[in-house]
Amino acid sequence: MFKTLTRSMLTAMACGGAVAGGAIGLSLVFGAPSGIWPAIAGGTLAAALLGGLAATIIMRSTAAFHTRLESTHTAEAVAAAPRWLRPTARTLVGCLDRLGAREEAWRTRERDLEIRTRVAEAGREQAEAVLAVMNEAVLVVNPFNELVMANDAAGTLLGFDASNTQGQSLATLVNDSTLRRIISETLEGACTSTRQAELMLDATEHSDAVACEVMVGCIRDGKGRPSAAVAVLHDLTREREIAQMKSEFVSKASHELRTPLSSMRACVEMLVDGEADDTATREEFYSIIQSETERLSRLVDNMLNISRIEAGIIEIDRAAVDLRTIIEQAMRAIEPQARERGQTLHVEAAPVDLHVNGDHDMLQQVVVNLLSNAVKYTPEGGRISVIADSDNLARCVHVAVQDTGLGIPPDDVERIFEKFYRVENYKRVAKGTGLGLNLCRHIVETVHGGQIGLESTLGMGSRFWFTVPMGTVEAAKAAA
Amino acid sequence: MSTHMTYQPSILVVDDESHIQHVVSLKLRNAGYLVETAADGEEALHAIAARIPDLIVTDLQMPYLDGIGLCRALLDSPDTNEVPVIVLTARGYALGEEAVELPNVSAVLSKPFSPRAILDVVSDICQIREKAA
Repeated sequence: MFKTLTRSMLTAMACGGAVAGGAIGLSLVFGAPSGIWPAIAGGTLAAALLGGLAATIIMRSTAAFHTRLESTHTAEAVAAAPRWLRPTARTLVGCLDRLGAREEAWRTRERDLEIRTRVAEAGREQAEAVLAVMNEAVLVVNPFNELVMANDAAGTLLGFDASNTQGQSLATLVNDSTLRRIISETLEGACTSTRQAELMLDATEHSDAVACEVMVGCIRDGKGRPSAAVAVLHDLTREREIAQMKSEFVSKASHELRTPLSSMRACVEMLVDGEADDTATREEFYSIIQSETERLSRLVDNMLNISRIEAGIIEIDRAAVDLRTIIEQAMRAIEPQARERGQTLHVEAAPVDLHVNGDHDMLQQVVVNLLSNAVKYTPEGGRISVIADSDNLARCVHVAVQDTGLGIPPDDVERIFEKFYRVENYKRVAKGTGLGLNLCRHIVETVHGGQIGLESTLGMGSRFWFTVPMGTVEAAKAAA
Repeated sequence: MSTHMTYQPSILVVDDESHIQHVVSLKLRNAGYLVETAADGEEALHAIAARIPDLIVTDLQMPYLDGIGLCRALLDSPDTNEVPVIVLTARGYALGEEAVELPNVSAVLSKPFSPRAILDVVSDICQIREKAA
C-alpha cells in the first residue's frame, strides 16, 4: 500500500518539476518588456525545454528509485537515487519504514483482537453451555438492574422466557422482592462477600411455591466497582421431599422397633419383679420375649436389606436358578405353619424350563414371604397354591401365590408394597414387620428387573404374582 | 398393695398388641385393681357403655378407632368426659402432642415403657381422685 503511495508521490514530484520549468519560462515571458519578444520566445522555449528535460530526468530517476525500492533493500534504493534526490528519498524511506512498522503493529493488534474475540466468544459459548445444563438457576444482572444473562433453569424457576429477556428490567421479570433486594444491595456495593439466603418463591401459573437457596456474588471492574451481580438459585424441593421421606421412615421404623421392644421390656421387668408367679405365666412371658426378639431381628434384617438394595450396595450372587427348586424349598419351610392352621398347600408348576438368572437366596425369600403372608391371612382350613409357568413371548418366568384368605381392600391394594404399610384392620390378624412386601418388590424389581403385583377380592382371597426374566440357555445348561 | 385398698378402682386397658395388653393387665391386677381389656377404640367404647371405668390406659395407634379417637369420644359424653386417660405411644416424642392437648389425657408414656412406671402413674391418679372424692 505504501509503495503504491510512494510511486504516486514520486510521479507527482516529477510532474511538479516539469510544471515548474514551464512556469519559470512563462513568468519570464509575461514579465518581460515588449521589445524583446523574439528573445523571450526563444527563452521561453528554452525554459520549457529545460523544465521538460528536468521532469524527464526526475521521472526516470524516481522510476529507477522506485524500481529499486520495490525490488531491493531501502538503503540500496536510496543509494540508487540521484544524489540531489537522496535526502528526500531518505526522509521518504524513513517515513515508509515507520509507516510499515505501524502497519505491522496494526495487523498484529488486529490479529490479536480477532483471537481475543474468538476466545471470548468460545468462552461465552462454553459458559452458556455450562449454564444451560445446570440444574441451578443463574441470573447475571448489570448495575442498572437489567438482566444480562439467564439460563433456562432460571426461566423455569422464576417464570419467564430465558431466551428472550436480555436487557429487561429485573423488576419486570422477578416477582420476589427479597431476591431483587439482595441483587440490588450487591450491585450498590453494600455487601463485599457472597450473600446467601433462603427464599420461598410464590406459586406461578406453571408451578407451586418453591423453597430455594440463593447465593448472590458480585463481579467488580478494574477499579473495584460492581459491574454485575450473579445470583445462583438452588431449588430445595427435592431435598425437602427426601428429608420428609427420611423423617417419615425413621418415625415409622422407630414405631415398629418400639412395639416388640415394649413387649420384651415389660415381660423382662415382670419376671425380674417376680410378678409372673405361676409357671404358665412365666413360660408365656419367655415365649413372648423369644417371639418378639425374632420379630425385632427380622425387622432389622429387612430394614438393612431394603436399604442396601436401595443404596445399590447389596451383594448379589447371580447364577442360573431353578424356580421349581426354590418353590419346593419354600413350601417345605412354610409347611409346618400351614399344617398348624389346617391349610392345604399345592404346587402347580408347568412342565417347562423355570430357570432364571438370579440370586437363589433372595428369590427364595420372596417366595417364602408371599407364602408366609398367605398362611397368616388365610383362615384355618384354607387353600394356598403356588403356580409357576414360563412366558416365552415376554421371556420371563411367572410365579403366583394364591390363597383363599381375607383379601385386601381395594384402597389398600395400591399401597400394599410401601414400606411399613399394613392393612390397618388386619394388624390384629397377624404380626408383621410391614416391610416384607416392600423387600419382595425390591428383590424382584430392583435386583432382578422383574415385576411384582397382585389381584385381590375382599373376602375371597388374594393372588400375589411376580415375574423374573428367563436365564440364558447357557446359564441354564451350566447349572444343569 | 391390694391389702391397703378399701376400694378397688376399675381400669380399662386398651391395646391391639395382645402381649402389651396382657402384661399391663397382670401388673395392675397384681396391684389390686379391677382390670378389663379391649383390643381397639371401638371395643373400648362397647366396654365403657357397659361399665364406666375409673381410669383408662390406652395405646395411641390402633385399628378401627385409635387412642385420640377414643379420648374424643369420651369427651363427647357427660358420663365419660371426666374419666382420666393414660396414653401409651410408640410414636416417640413428636406425635404424642396431639394427645397431650386433650383435657382428659392425664399422662403420656412412651413405649418401650416400664410396667412399674405405669403402675406409679395409675396409683397417683387414683389417689388424687380418691382424695377429691
